[in-house]
Amino acid sequence: MFRLLARSIRLYLSMVAFSIRAQLEYRYAFVMNILGWAMNYAGTAVTMWVLLYSFQAIQGWTYWELLFLFALSVLSWGLCIIFFFHFRSLDQYILNGTFDRFLVRPIHPFLHFMASKFDVGAFGHLLFSIIAFILAYHKLALSWTLLRWLIFFAALLGGVLIQGGILIFISALAFWTTRSESFYWVIMFPAANLLNYPLSIYPKGFQWFITFILPYAFINYLPALFLLGKADPTYSAVLGLFSLPVGMVFFTICLSLWLKGLNHYQSTGS
Amino acid sequence: MEAFQTYLEFSRVAFRRKAAYRFDVFTQVLANILFLFMWLFIWLGLYQGQNQVVGVSFRTMPSYVLVSQMLQNLHSAGTPLWEIQEQVRTGNIAVEMIRPYHYPTRLLFSDLGSIFFYFLTAVLPLYLVLMFVFQPLRPESLLTWLTFFLSALLGYLIRHNLELTFGLFTFWLIETGGVEDIFYFSVSLFSGSLVPLWFFPAWLGKLARLLPFQGIYFIPNSIFIGDLKGPAALASLFLQLGWVILTRLLLSFVWKQATKKIVIQGG
Repeated sequence: MFRLLARSIRLYLSMVAFSIRAQLEYRYAFVMNILGWAMNYAGTAVTMWVLLYSFQAIQGWTYWELLFLFALSVLSWGLCIIFFFHFRSLDQYILNGTFDRFLVRPIHPFLHFMASKFDVGAFGHLLFSIIAFILAYHKLALSWTLLRWLIFFAALLGGVLIQGGILIFISALAFWTTRSESFYWVIMFPAANLLNYPLSIYPKGFQWFITFILPYAFINYLPALFLLGKADPTYSAVLGLFSLPVGMVFFTICLSLWLKGLNHYQSTGS
Repeated sequence: MEAFQTYLEFSRVAFRRKAAYRFDVFTQVLANILFLFMWLFIWLGLYQGQNQVVGVSFRTMPSYVLVSQMLQNLHSAGTPLWEIQEQVRTGNIAVEMIRPYHYPTRLLFSDLGSIFFYFLTAVLPLYLVLMFVFQPLRPESLLTWLTFFLSALLGYLIRHNLELTFGLFTFWLIETGGVEDIFYFSVSLFSGSLVPLWFFPAWLGKLARLLPFQGIYFIPNSIFIGDLKGPAALASLFLQLGWVILTRLLLSFVWKQATKKIVIQGG
């Protein structure tokens, strides 16, 4: 069991290395892909600054606190897309019949599909979010103890698992409906944008949904409450400590759904 | 007149083609409703019960968000920047060049056809319901409605000219990353699509008013909510018209240069 896992991880890493090397062939495109994403997010951060210029705060959140919230979500999203972003286009693989090749190799289809793509755009997400995080950390005059850093990294990992889980869930839908990409644009893309702002501005029903059903609040809002020492009228900041367990449970559920779909899968026969 | 008939045919074709992809329209509308609500709640959170901030009353904001999202929604039915870039990169644009029409004009008519389809099937029903339910501030007289429509149309023309011009830069760049980001950032910030220019820091507001982007959303939106009226509205329409002409001249110039500069990359 352990040897199988070690072998899989080695295989995964070497496939990723090939993918990066292939993308490095086009050096200018490689750099622009990364810078493009970073600029894109910087644009959103500037828009937020302009938005808050006349108001100073949104529901008690100042600009730097908002940037912290934003950076946390982009950081975990950036880590997430390294592994899972292409899961959303599983429908294309199924429709073209190219998914079948993942089934006939001596490696688990899930792992093989996961390793089949590596989007260097992820580095752009990381570039922006790390700079934004450092800026916010500095401007908010934070100085965390080792424990706080651990809580931060646990939340980050939890966020990766939650978003990865949703991508895998969306992907699994393709096994039954042969559609997944459009679900991504309807569910995940707007949801990610909604969470750039404090959850407390939205109606109660939505807050509940985004906390307990689609656990988006555990990616950035609840951990930020705890780490910045802020209060929410409804939710305790202590919830922010539970990102990792929530992420693990949620990811497991989504993964088992994907594996169930895989068993159900029949080639489109094209 | 005959030429106009020919171009109109492209609008008709685009209209029918959009009708074949109804599911896409549906998903787009769903996503747009989410964004609409997001921005309504953001403004609610920003005002936090205050009636007025920097002289702007809270009552105008839901209306501003509604009309702004409606126009953005409509614009998204046109040919996006990346598609133009793709056309240049793949060389498909060469086929357009040997055909007996002016490509920028042809594209404009196609996009107007797509937008018209989108307007009839998605935007009109959705926003009629929203206007009925929320009763936002809206034009009261027929004249204001007409001014708004004219301004919205001019705004789209500015956007179309700029988007195509930016897309044609691909002829000189070969690799286009970055151009897209500059374009979308400018359109989203300086146009007032999300944050109206009233809330900008003074220096940034001044800059935004010197750029063509405010004509895309900020001017039609302001007419819609009744902030711009009478002679000021008329002056804004002329300003928009000026930008339409200027950007169209720029587009024609870039197009002309582009036709002279075809790089064949492999086969």
